[in-house]
Amino acid sequence: MYTVKIVECPECGGEIKIPDDVLEGEIFSCPDCGMEYEVYINDGEITLKPAEVEGEDWGE
Amino acid sequence: MKLVVKIGGSILKNGAPDLNLIDDLKSVFSENRLVLVHGGGDEVTAVASRMGKKQVFVMSPRGFRSRYTDKETLDIYVMVMAGRISKEIVSTLLRFGLPAVGISGVDGGLLRAERKRKLIIIDERGRKRAIPGGYTGKIVEVNAGLLNMLLDSGFLPVVSPLALGMEYEILNVDGDRAASYVAGALKADRLILLTDVEGLILDGELRREVSASQVEDRLSKIGPGMITKVYAALEALKMGVGEVLISSGLAEKPVTSALKGRIGTRIYRG
Repeated sequence: MYTVKIVECPECGGEIKIPDDVLEGEIFSCPDCGMEYEVYINDGEITLKPAEVEGEDWGE
Repeated sequence: MKLVVKIGGSILKNGAPDLNLIDDLKSVFSENRLVLVHGGGDEVTAVASRMGKKQVFVMSPRGFRSRYTDKETLDIYVMVMAGRISKEIVSTLLRFGLPAVGISGVDGGLLRAERKRKLIIIDERGRKRAIPGGYTGKIVEVNAGLLNMLLDSGFLPVVSPLALGMEYEILNVDGDRAASYVAGALKADRLILLTDVEGLILDGELRREVSASQVEDRLSKIGPGMITKVYAALEALKMGVGEVLISSGLAEKPVTSALKGRIGTRIYRG
């Protein structure tokens, strides 16, 4: 069964739904404020940190 | 005029320009200050494959498809770009009387770049994910003085798309973007991006002329092959380049024909 975990948006307190098959590094947006977060997983514990935005010129 | 011409890897034959392009470059070089920037991503992939190093390509949320450059891939990239392709182009141009000098973005700190810490990709499950940036960078500085010195001495610089990072690491940079930054730093009159298609197609139609703002409105409709050229064109115009021409390098007299407006797409400020 597909389940999600609700994590509170560090910026606005909104509810961000994280699926149970989440991988380290995945990016999720807060549905309320739109802030983008990168997922960090440490011993199964999920934390969110603001995603770093880089340009998309990634080489030849 | 000051011209920067990017020669895409798709129009090189066995790593070198064909006679039609060389003849045209001779004619253009005799009347203009000319800098060449070359590509060659497909050759990098082919050599990597022969060496047993499978290349991984990643897609950005905006549709940019790029090689993932880990350390082994970087080593192959440097070997092929600044080695085989650069030397093949330079030796061919010299054979036909053009005073070519191969110079990579690393040499003399020609292209300085900030290494990407992370790339945000669309992964195999269609979800956005941050991955380590590998050995790619964003160009932040061009040593225009070095190119001007070569031009003033009568040489034809042939630039390989590598850059020197802020910690003096070697980085893979996109050839179209490298050409754009070189053109911007030189305040070139024209940047010409030669490729294996006729130009920019929008709404199913080849555009002969289009303004920067018209292109910006349609970025989402442009495919992965053309989008880096379009971004390079827009960046070049913002850096003060007069016009950008995206055109076929396989056409008769490709540079002259593009400059005279007979072929290709002209992108202008506005």
